[in-house]
Amino acid sequence: MIPILFIVSILIFFFTHLIPGDPARLVAGKDATLEEVNIIRAELGLDQPIWDQYITYMSNLFQGDLGTSLKTGLPVSEMFADRFMPSIYLTFMSMGWALVLGLLIGTLSAVFKNKWPDYFGMVTAVSGISMPGFWLGLILIQIFSVQLGWFPTGGAESWKSYILPSITLGAGIMSMLARFTRSSLLETLRADFIRTGRAKGLKESVVIPKHALRNSLIPVVTIAGLQFGFLLGGSVVVETVFSFPGMGRLLIDSIAFRDYPVIQAELLLFSIEFILVNLIVDIMYSMLNPKIRYVT
Amino acid sequence: MWKTLFVVLISLVLMAGCSSKESGTDEKESSGSSSSPKEEELVIAVNENFISMDPHNTGDTNSNSVQTAMLEGLLGSDEEGQIIPQLAEEYSVSDNALEYSFKLRQGVTFHDGEPFNAEAVKTSFERIMKDESLRLNSRGFNLITSIDVIDDYQIKVTLKEPYAGMLTRFVSAKILSPKLINDSSNDIGKTPVGTGPFKFVEWVQGDHLTVERFDDYWNKADRVKKITYKPVPENGSRVAMLKTGEAHVIYPAPVQNLKELESNSDVEIHKIPSTIARYVSINTMKEPYDDVRIRQAINYAVNKEAFISVVNSGYGLPLDSIIPSKTQFYSKQETYDHNIEKAKELMKEAGFEDGFNAEIWGNTNSDTLKGMQFIQQQLKEIGITVEIKSMEEGTLSDEIYGAQTPEEAKVQMWYVSWSAYPSDTTNATKPLFSSSSFPPDGANTAYYKNDDVDKWITEVNQTADPDKQAEIYSNIQSAIYKDAPWIFLGVDEILAGSRSNVEGVFISPTGGINVTDANLK
Repeated sequence: MIPILFIVSILIFFFTHLIPGDPARLVAGKDATLEEVNIIRAELGLDQPIWDQYITYMSNLFQGDLGTSLKTGLPVSEMFADRFMPSIYLTFMSMGWALVLGLLIGTLSAVFKNKWPDYFGMVTAVSGISMPGFWLGLILIQIFSVQLGWFPTGGAESWKSYILPSITLGAGIMSMLARFTRSSLLETLRADFIRTGRAKGLKESVVIPKHALRNSLIPVVTIAGLQFGFLLGGSVVVETVFSFPGMGRLLIDSIAFRDYPVIQAELLLFSIEFILVNLIVDIMYSMLNPKIRYVT
Repeated sequence: MWKTLFVVLISLVLMAGCSSKESGTDEKESSGSSSSPKEEELVIAVNENFISMDPHNTGDTNSNSVQTAMLEGLLGSDEEGQIIPQLAEEYSVSDNALEYSFKLRQGVTFHDGEPFNAEAVKTSFERIMKDESLRLNSRGFNLITSIDVIDDYQIKVTLKEPYAGMLTRFVSAKILSPKLINDSSNDIGKTPVGTGPFKFVEWVQGDHLTVERFDDYWNKADRVKKITYKPVPENGSRVAMLKTGEAHVIYPAPVQNLKELESNSDVEIHKIPSTIARYVSINTMKEPYDDVRIRQAINYAVNKEAFISVVNSGYGLPLDSIIPSKTQFYSKQETYDHNIEKAKELMKEAGFEDGFNAEIWGNTNSDTLKGMQFIQQQLKEIGITVEIKSMEEGTLSDEIYGAQTPEEAKVQMWYVSWSAYPSDTTNATKPLFSSSSFPPDGANTAYYKNDDVDKWITEVNQTADPDKQAEIYSNIQSAIYKDAPWIFLGVDEILAGSRSNVEGVFISPTGGINVTDANLK
């Protein structure tokens, strides 16, 4: 994990500095003279050779200092502090209900293939996947905030603020999981060991959850892990529609402003999160199928 | 056997359905009391995040808006954006425009209990003078040679050379508590302490910033107890907040929702003529634009009324000078009315009867794109084929400011806007039209050079006499307008929405939200 992170840090640093656009100019403003821009460039340390900047950045990083935002002048860690937890809560909430409903709909659709639960489930899944988050979010606000007044239109002040964004974020994921569960389960249900199980008189309530479902979960877990990783990175669309203080919008704003320290810190954080999620997915593989083991 | 499973699953689904229904009804009951804001709290939703609360280093409108609730300068600005005394009771400028004397208001205290006096003013000003990285430093404060404290309530600031924008800088240079400045452990950008009608409570990054009434404020009046500012970038969400009463004021109000909001009796819409000038700069040093007839022809070819109705949805005013009408010393010019015949005639005189190929640059904003397409379509009428180059802001900035000399400049036309404080005519002219402001030294992307204008711009900054300033600015405006270094498109109207129970909140021509006397009925 450490070597991966080291390579990632180099890639992030140099690619960030490769983006065209001069932060000093953006900080100084359109009416600034060249002299003013140069003073600001020196103040931000951007006049140093890029390798020196990288070494400073890394040595600060090892001391736990993520740097200071070029745009706001605030420490990056402070800018993250208020946004990190809301993003985590939202991820868990969206993922939670998407997993439960996705598995449920997928299983029902597979078990009742070509019957009405299957049609109902797949119509739900197709609708969920085809509704753009932006549109779904605004519709939910219109119905549940403006008309019914049940939930606030945005923010992250109480658990109520999380409901609509989590539905918006989770809808697509739920649909994807439902479809994957269905196709994977259908395949497993045709397998020899299921026929053997049924032949030796096992009840369906044992065959389906214990034998079939468990063996169909590998692709589902892979997809779920990937989606989980993406969600942790925040969602610009949902954060914008619900004015949710998450990590996604911060990244976009920072890129627009060429706020190098914030971009770098955020990308590094996402890489760590992704590596962790991947690790968990790998562990789950071996739990689901003990045949998968790492050779040491 | 699958029947059992079916029954279990169906009952699970039903249970889930019921429980969500129950919790749904709870929501409805509780939302009335908890989620709608109490009438003690005013909520303002704006379109962008706040960047910093350090008033000496702020460039964006929304951060400025929040700061004015908490912080005050020696001078302030009124509803029209004109300068008025604030923490100074009186002020005067010497004839040579070098000495600024202020008589300070007595009995004012900072939010942390420190007294406001001449020493406190000196501490704040010295902070700006010493720190080159602060935005205000390079805008006037680096010209200060001395700050003399005459007595507790009198102070004199001397400049080394005249700078007509200085009065506006005294509005921007909010006075911070000396205790805040002297204690280096404080982060001024996060927790400002000033003398304003509201004091800082908390700032949750990306979510909200709250201020609360300061009961020892020098100007007693009935004010709302708390104000919360929220960045809500999505237009539809801001509108929804205004409709539900979650927000009392929204800025800006999106044009596409105006009809819907106007029909709502709980909501009021405010239209404010701004100081935002929309224009296309034309590179006057590049062929064929170096011929004034071509630039005038382009101006005659563009229908400005149609521009306002098509691109600005009807909310805008004509740009009938080089500065918007709200800017001090504005004088109306004879406009280039839409006249295709005249435009064609001028093109013919200049030897371009059959037109030519041109390029227009702009950012990727959808409104900018719409504006550029409009120009493209209008100029086609006189044979000019315009290619649109839409670039991401940082790349665009590199392309424009990367050119070190006029010869290196690749820009032909740039679709852009400019906004300066109404009282700061210097900033509305010098960076745009002085030959000392060619990129990268300023925003004169028309590469406009007129020796008379250069001389006048220097002269007008050397006097403090308003009559003389008005006269010179009148010359500047008519000379530049005739030279047509821009396509003069329009002046934006700012749109804001408020609940009908809001009192004492106004939006300035620069888009600042003034809440000094804010209250809820």
